[in-house]
This record gives sequence, structure tokens and C-alpha cells, in this order.
Amino acid sequence: MSKIEEVAALVEKGKAKLVGQAVQEALDEGCDPMDILNDGMIKTMSVVGDKFKNGEIFVPEMLVAARAMKKGVEVLKPHLASGSTGALGKVLIATVSGDLHDIGKNLVAMMIESAGFEVVDLGVDVSTEKVIEAYRANPDTRIICLSALLTTTMPAMKETVTALNESDFRGSIKVMVGGAPITQEFADEIGADGYSDDAASAAALARKLVAA
Amino acid sequence: MCRIIFVREKKEIQVPEGTTVLEAEIRAGLAPDAPCGGHGICGKCLVRILSQKDGDRADAPGSLVRACRTEVRSDLWVDTCTDPEQEHVILTEGFTRPVPCQPDLMVHLVRLTKPEPGEKRSDWERLLLALQAAGGPEPSWVRPDPVLASSLYERRQEAAEWWVIHTKTQILDLRREPGKQYLAAFDIGTTTVAGYLLDAGDGSQTAVVSRMNPQAQYGADVIARANYALTNGTEPLSRCIRELIRQMLEQLAAEAGVRTEEIFQVSVAGNTCMHHLFLGISPASLVHAPYTPALRQSLVLSAAEYGLGIHPRGQLRVLPDIAGYVGADTCGCLLALRPDQRPEVTLLLDIGTNGEMVLGNRDRLIACSTAAGPAFEGARIECGMRGAAGAVDHVSFENGIWHYTTVGGQPAAGLCGSGLIDLVACLLRAGLIDESGTLASGQEDPRVFMLAPPGESAREAGVYLTQKDIREVQLAKAAIAAGISLLMEELGISEDEVACVWLAGAFGNYMDPASAAEIGMLPKSLAARVQPVGNAAGQGAKIALLNREEWEQADALAEQVGFLELATLPTFQDCFVDELGF
Repeated sequence: MSKIEEVAALVEKGKAKLVGQAVQEALDEGCDPMDILNDGMIKTMSVVGDKFKNGEIFVPEMLVAARAMKKGVEVLKPHLASGSTGALGKVLIATVSGDLHDIGKNLVAMMIESAGFEVVDLGVDVSTEKVIEAYRANPDTRIICLSALLTTTMPAMKETVTALNESDFRGSIKVMVGGAPITQEFADEIGADGYSDDAASAAALARKLVAA
Repeated sequence: MCRIIFVREKKEIQVPEGTTVLEAEIRAGLAPDAPCGGHGICGKCLVRILSQKDGDRADAPGSLVRACRTEVRSDLWVDTCTDPEQEHVILTEGFTRPVPCQPDLMVHLVRLTKPEPGEKRSDWERLLLALQAAGGPEPSWVRPDPVLASSLYERRQEAAEWWVIHTKTQILDLRREPGKQYLAAFDIGTTTVAGYLLDAGDGSQTAVVSRMNPQAQYGADVIARANYALTNGTEPLSRCIRELIRQMLEQLAAEAGVRTEEIFQVSVAGNTCMHHLFLGISPASLVHAPYTPALRQSLVLSAAEYGLGIHPRGQLRVLPDIAGYVGADTCGCLLALRPDQRPEVTLLLDIGTNGEMVLGNRDRLIACSTAAGPAFEGARIECGMRGAAGAVDHVSFENGIWHYTTVGGQPAAGLCGSGLIDLVACLLRAGLIDESGTLASGQEDPRVFMLAPPGESAREAGVYLTQKDIREVQLAKAAIAAGISLLMEELGISEDEVACVWLAGAFGNYMDPASAAEIGMLPKSLAARVQPVGNAAGQGAKIALLNREEWEQADALAEQVGFLELATLPTFQDCFVDELGF
């Protein structure tokens, strides 16, 4: 097994403690950092995402794989040329105002990043004003993703999406929403461009939205 | 208006066109089960539309539809498909810390004297002085009561000696005979409500009743109910729980053979959302970050204002909340166990949809709440159910032989929390689940483990565990394990220093600690130190009534407990993911 294959296997199994070392060994062997990233990690996460969509694996495995990838990327980052990732463009992601839940959102961020986007994570309990401010600071943003885990924070999601819909920059962005209580119906009702059920489909949706 | 006829219940109701069938069921008083709160997500509110006047609807007569998504457009005949009153096992017993029976409800005999000529003091003041002389409170503590004061002249004409029933700050009644006084304590849980009647004279328990919380018709969990309250107002939820408490008080009195007017004090403990909804407080601040209660301290209120139907001057005493998701029920547990008085470190765990926990000793106590999810209550588990008849409650695997028991010895109908963790623990031991949680059952479908095949089960497809169920268990147990680990980190202690783990609540009472440790919900070394304490919140609600010093200390106790918000803790996610495996 090549070092890159080893990295891939460790990411898929979620062996966070071993991934860092394997990445280092791959670098020491002279592997191209971009190959380690693409073949060792990003491809693996897309395999993980596909398995999730097929019902072969579930959230816990996604979480451990995502964390393993994160550990690997930490080791790899200093070796990557800036601008070498995120070719598909910039994505802002946030949990809406009144909601502190972020495990799902972090997973979506990781999957979208693996799909080739540059992700700016605005964190949790993010107000409409902060989302708009963040867009102004990142006018090259292509997608804004909003997450809500509580039924009671769905109105906050609606408020933010409404404000985005009324903004002068609405034409240059796509808006994606998700989270446990969110449905396609709700997404349509508040005027979001897309909704996805899970982190893996979110990545696919993001690709589709920027291609459109 | 349209007529809705519920054929099974033989009830009929008129509702405006456009009302949902679920709403009609609620109005008809059927208390339907609507776990997701009528959002069309859970699919548990299915009803059968039998026939209708108007034929141009998509749903053919006889079809099963979601009651919450089906609007009434014409007269309807509906089968709710619900069997009347399923018997649930509700835990009412609990560990009791003995406290002296010294309620803040006292009875003293006083003489109502005629004033001396030229005396300035009022009848009321002379009553208080006489009460003080008989052993009652300092007069300045007692709140003046114009209604009682106005009766004093006539009472004095009627008789000189009167029995005064009072608290430290309030006179509740004057009587010719001392009579009997009773106290009633309640633990209002999201799913179940337990009530206890106590004799104020000797502290003995004279009756116990338990019921399902009727707010279930507005959603299974606190978020769904809070959302209902925010959309439709708090009133329907407040009204239905207060009405239940009133009925339970009647039942308690009837079972003990006493009159409801002889009940002078009612205490209530519940999680913050139940607390807010019972009091009619909007749960808005509870369910929006940073999740704080609107009101936290202990309360002494007039029971009459809450329609409880006890003595007209009776008191409602509400235990204090600790923080957003650490409620008065946890405060009740603390009153029952008083870890703040102990030198050794203890861990209190109350596992429901949220897992509340308190770790520490007399030097420092901290609490946290983790979103354990409803897996242990049967939700999101394919064959999951609550602890009712037929629920598999224990599973063992020895010498290659599988064995299980069910509630009431009935044919297996599903898995309740304790059976679920036993089953996962046994599958781990049998090597059928690996450390990452992957199931290879060796059966026809390796991703399913059939425990009770269709033939021997009350469930058509049998009772079994799926790979997805195991993943749900992993998420739930990891949340609890991460909470415990972060509390220990915060206090800077290791698991060796935890002398005792108190498990409160129904799930904690029925689950096998060894299984809990085996699946990694609890640190392994703590399994031997587990002590189930039953309905500790209910015990605390009793103690709050039985001993006035304990009641007075409740606020200080709630204040003393520190709160660790896991959601904003950067290490939480890492710790949570660490705990996901077995």
C-alpha cells in the first residue's frame, strides 16, 4: 500500500491519531502535497459521503472520518501553496441566531471544503447583520449556507434568508439551508435556493448550485 | 363548520373548515400522541379517514393519513387507530434521605382576646402576638391578610380558642378543630408526572399517583412543545398541565380518603421547560441561545391562582431552576441527595432526552446538560418503545445463548432504553459489533440482529436491532460520556476520585450499570459505584415540603451549583467524537 493509500484508509476509518503521522511520512517520501490532499483525503471524504448517502454508514462514522481528515490537513497545510484549494469558490457557513448547535454545520463545512470550496465558518448564533457583514468582507462569496437545529430557531433562519433575498447582492450568491427540523418545503417557503438532508448531499448540492 | 366523528372514541366535534385533524383531536380532548408537534415529520399521528361527504379529496376513504397534515374540508368519520390508555410503567419510588418532619406548615392553639379599653393594637396584631406566644413566628414576618382580619371580630364572638394553621409568613386558616393537614409533591416530567400525598403531621406518605403528561399532544420533547407555545401561545400547554395536576390532587385525596381542602401546600419540580409552561411563562428565552430561563428562583404562590383546587389559601411552592437546561428537577435531585454536604465527590446523572449531570462535593459542584437525544426513550430506534407492557427491558448473552425479559412478561413488542443498552453490550461481548460500531450479526441480513423473531414477538416484523439503531446509541452515549469527561476535566479530578454515581430517573433505575459501562456511556471503573436513586426529583419535591430548612436552602443550593455550557466549549466536539467508538 502506498503512503497515500494508507492516508486514505486511515481517514476512512477515522483514525485521527494516526493520520497526522501517515501524512508526514508521505511528505517525507516525497509525495506531492496536492496528491496527498486530493487522493488521500478529499477523494476519501467523497467515498465516505457516498456511503453515507447509500445508507452504508451513518453520522458517527462521518464525524470520525471528518475529524481524521482535519488532523491530516493540519499537518499538510504548511506544505500547500496558498490558493491551491478552494477552486470552486468561497462559501460562508453559519448556524443561525439563537442556535448554538454546530456539529452538523461543521460536518457540512468539512464536506463542502472537500468538494473543492473555500469555506469561511462564521460560527454559531450568527445574526442576520453578521452574515451580511461577512458577505461584504468576502464579496467573492458564491454560496451562503445556514443551519438551524432547533424548531424554535427556524424563524431566525427565515429572517436571515429574507434579508438576503432583499439584499442588493442576492443575484451573485446562492443560499443553502439545512438542519434537523428543516424540510425542502420550508426551504422553498422562505426562498432559499437549495436544501439538503445531510452533509454529503450538501456538498453535491453546492457543486450543482455554482455550476448552474 | 364541519362535523368530525371519532368512531373509536364515540366522540363528535364541530370544527371550522381548514382545521387539521390533529387540532380536532386535541379539541375533542383525545390527547393524541404527536411527537414532532404537528410538523409533519414524525409520522406518528396517523389516522384512518373512513368516509366523507365530499368526494373530491386526494385521500381515498379508508386511507391512512397524517392527522397534522390533513385539513378538514367536509364532515369526516375518523378512526384514530389508538388503543385506549396504554399502561406505562412510571417510576415513582426513589431513594429517600431521612429529614425531620418540620414543614413550613404549623398548627398552634391561640386565644382570641377582647381588646382592653384604649388599646391601639388591631385584632390582627393581637392574633399575631397570641400566635407568637403559642410558639408561632415573629409577628413582623407575617403578611397581613384583610380577608382573615375581617373575620376576627365574629370569630371572637363565636369562641375564644382557635387553631391557627400557618407558615412562617402567612396565616392559612383559623379553625375550631386542628384537623389534619396534607402536603402534595409533584415531579412534572416531559413524559410522565408523579404525585405524592404526605401527612404534614408525621411526614408519612399516604398516596402516590402517576400519569402521562398530556402535553404530549403538542409534541414529545421540550423543543417541540416550546415551539408550539411560541406559535400558539403558552396557554393551552399551561392549562392542560395544571388541569392534570388538579385531577391528580383529587385522585391523591380520594385514595388517601381525605378532602382536597385538607391539602395546604403543593410543591412542583420539573425541567426548565415544564417549569415555565406550568407557570405560564413563555419559553422563548429557554430555546434561543444562550438558553437562559426567564425566572429561576424558588416561588411561593397562591395555589388557587393556578386552579389546583386545594385549600382556598393553599400554597404552590416551585423549586428553583439552576440554569437553562438544568432545571428544578435537578434541584430536586440535589435536595434528595445533598452532594453539597458531602466530603467525597459524587456524580449525579439524570438521563432522559437531555442528560443532566452534576459532579462535585461540598467544596464545588458543577452541572451540565447534554443532548443525549431520545434514543434511550425509544425514539429513532426502529423497534424502540417506552417502558410499557412488552418492552424488552433486559437482555443477556451467556454461553452462546440469548435470553431476554419483557415488561409484564408479555411477548416482545419493542426495545426500551435498558433493553437497548443491554442488547448493544451483549452484541459487543459476542463480537458481533466491532469497536467502530459496525454490526456483523451473522444472520440473514448481517446489518440487522433479530432478537425476537416474528413468531415469538408481538411485533409483526419481530423485535430486532439495526445498524442505524446502533449509530443512534453511539451518538447518545457519546454525548453523556463527553459530558462526564468534561465535568471531570473542569473540576480537575479523575474517575478514581468519584466515590459514587447516582442514577436518577426511570432509565437510570432500570438500566444495568455494567452494560452502560460496557458500551462506554459511563467510565468502566465507575460501573461498580453506581447507585440507582429512582425518582430523586420527586423525592426532592417531597423534602422541600417536609422540612422548612431544606426548602429555605434550595435557592442557595441552586445558586451554588456552577454551570458548564458544553455547546460553547471548544473541546466538546473533539471529546464527543472521541467517545463515539466502543
